[in-house]
Amino acid sequence: MATVTLKGIKKIYPLSDDDKKKGKKGLFKKHEEEIEHEEKVNLQITDQGTVAVQEFNLDIADKEFIVLVGPSGCGKSTTLRMIAGLETISEGELYIDGQLVNNKPPKDRDIAMVFQNYALYPHMSVYDNLAFALKIRKTPKDIIDKKVRDAAEILGITEYLHRKPKALSGGQRQRVAIGRAIVREPQVFLMDEPLSNLDAKLRNQMRAEIIKLRQRIDTTFIYVTHDQTEAMTLGDRIVIMKDGFIQQIGTPYEVFHHPANLFVAGFIGTPQMNFFKTELAEENGQYYVPLFGVKFPMDAAHMEQIKEKGIKPQEITMGIRPEDVSICYEGGVEATVDVCEMMGSSLHIHTTIEDKEIVVIAQSKELPEDKQLGFAHGDKIRLHFDGHVLHLFGLDEKNLF
Amino acid sequence: MLSDRRKNIAIFLLPSLVMLIVTVVVPLLYSFATSFFSLDLKYKGWGEFVGLGNYFSALKDQYFMGSIKTTVIFSVIVVAIEFIVGFAIALLFNTNVKGKNFFFSIVIIPMMITPVAVGLTWRLLLHSTLGVVNWFLSLLGIAGKAWLADNATALATVIFIDVWQQISYMVLVLLAGLVSLPKEPYEAASIDGASKWQSFKFITMPLMAPTFLVAILLRLITAFKTYDLIYVLTKGGPGTSTEVVSYYIYKTAFTHLKTSKAAAMSFILLIILIPVSYIATRILKNRNEG
Ligand SMILES: Nc1ncnc2c1ncn2[C@@H]1O[C@H](COP(=O)(O)OP(=O)(O)OP(=O)(O)O)[C@@H](O)[C@H]1O
Ligand SMILES: [Mg+2]
Repeated sequence: MATVTLKGIKKIYPLSDDDKKKGKKGLFKKHEEEIEHEEKVNLQITDQGTVAVQEFNLDIADKEFIVLVGPSGCGKSTTLRMIAGLETISEGELYIDGQLVNNKPPKDRDIAMVFQNYALYPHMSVYDNLAFALKIRKTPKDIIDKKVRDAAEILGITEYLHRKPKALSGGQRQRVAIGRAIVREPQVFLMDEPLSNLDAKLRNQMRAEIIKLRQRIDTTFIYVTHDQTEAMTLGDRIVIMKDGFIQQIGTPYEVFHHPANLFVAGFIGTPQMNFFKTELAEENGQYYVPLFGVKFPMDAAHMEQIKEKGIKPQEITMGIRPEDVSICYEGGVEATVDVCEMMGSSLHIHTTIEDKEIVVIAQSKELPEDKQLGFAHGDKIRLHFDGHVLHLFGLDEKNLF
Repeated sequence: MLSDRRKNIAIFLLPSLVMLIVTVVVPLLYSFATSFFSLDLKYKGWGEFVGLGNYFSALKDQYFMGSIKTTVIFSVIVVAIEFIVGFAIALLFNTNVKGKNFFFSIVIIPMMITPVAVGLTWRLLLHSTLGVVNWFLSLLGIAGKAWLADNATALATVIFIDVWQQISYMVLVLLAGLVSLPKEPYEAASIDGASKWQSFKFITMPLMAPTFLVAILLRLITAFKTYDLIYVLTKGGPGTSTEVVSYYIYKTAFTHLKTSKAAAMSFILLIILIPVSYIATRILKNRNEG
């Protein structure tokens, strides 16, 4: 049993002494400049410090696998470190197993963690790194030995057991970091981008190992990643964050098929969802989306919701996933091919319609034989999309449905 | 022809090179040569060539051997106390105690005073009739002592004063080591369930080991060469109870005027210290590369 509950969690990193000396004004100024020059930095800097995470509410069920995703700097590690007890919680309450643990030190929380920066013990061999937690718990020597060797076997680091971390590659260090967590049987596993430094093959292999580990130990996992495949395949539920705020919590299916807002829609799925600024219009009670001179009618399911929620015709951003666009030979809209990427069984076709870019995924074997290897620059194709696969977002960027 | 760059380097190095040769290399070679003759300041000239005779006579000199023994006792005790107390203070400064900066400045002050001034100050403080220490003890009903003139307390008193002055060096070096330790292993250890004490034992101590060794060895070398404090405080007395080797060499050269023998003794001292400094530099080098 280990549920984890986060209630209104907020994290403010206090200003460093340097920042204080520069003065609040200087800091704000710098912040504004940053916004001008770089991509948007929406983190709030108040007189108390940098707000890294706020209004974080999440109920994690026992044995659930939660994945935190979001762009760099959105507060994923901070959240994880608060759960671990490595960062103080500025506001809100954290319960593990129903117990308030805000002030409990990490060692009393019974958690294992894979650190984003590995945090290996530099002076210990790989073997001792793996064995440390067990030694602290006074586990008998033969059991330690077995567990360490088993973990090393799973991770493929047996031959490095006697080496110091200094003499390992990044990927090998990362596997040691994972190993240090999996020799234990904690209440909660916290993993901060544990596979980020592995090559594609090893990453797939390790992902499978994590799934196996979960079946074997069957406990609560909180997992941070940048990788969509990991998020989709591992997570029972995915938490998408941006600038310290939760954007959506949902199953992989929900966040993919029903993104709560524009950000989630754009963040989940590769290639990215196509977006068009247009409107939701009405004609004789039937709603439709005009685009490229074509009226895309809303299907019955959408119409029902429109009636139920009383949605009015309005300006919208329409989104459609590349896999939901199909190539047709009659009707639809004509598009010009820019670039065509051959991905193996499928093609990613970048096209333009009236200066707007739209990406299409086509299954290679469903195309005419002469096009199976791809289209040439300048080729004309016709594209079609159904009303039921359209995602509509209002001016507030929220999903209309 | 030298390239311009090399010429520039040579030009800039030249002044310090000349200084080093004149003040270090020449005297060193001169005294090394001296140690093989029977040079005596009472007579003119270098005397006759005696080979290793001065070295043998130094090793047979019971006062010389006695002074080495005193030096070893002095150095070991001084360094041990400075290390243990210094590390404790460094650990304290490495936490977030209040008023840290203020106390830190106080700890650093003794290091900035020259040993002669320290010696004179303490001689006054410890003066048997006029000193503050005995006056203060009398207030507590404890009979004062001639701390530096008593065979039983002279060495201990000198040790105390040396610790008082030199401990700041230990604190500085060890604190620098502590501050530069990586933070991550401590986080990992707390996740792994280690208590504060276990983190200290399994992480701080092993990671600090090279710093410990270097600090101890370097301080041992300077302790072994202690001279000025002894000169000001006791002149090696009472009897020979605080006669450390540097002071005895000085006495041999400038009181007994046996220059050659003193030179031989200096080189014996050097031979004792070379391995120590060699080990220290090796560790430092390893650490910088690691
Ligand atoms: N110790 C700190 N002091 C001040 N600000 C911090 C500190 N640690 C993190 N931050 C800030 O808090 C925000 C969230 O950081 P965090 O490390 O949680 O991001 P992340 O989502 O894990 O990013 P990444 O994917 O790059 O690891 C960032 O803007 C960061 O600059
Ligand atoms: Mg992170």
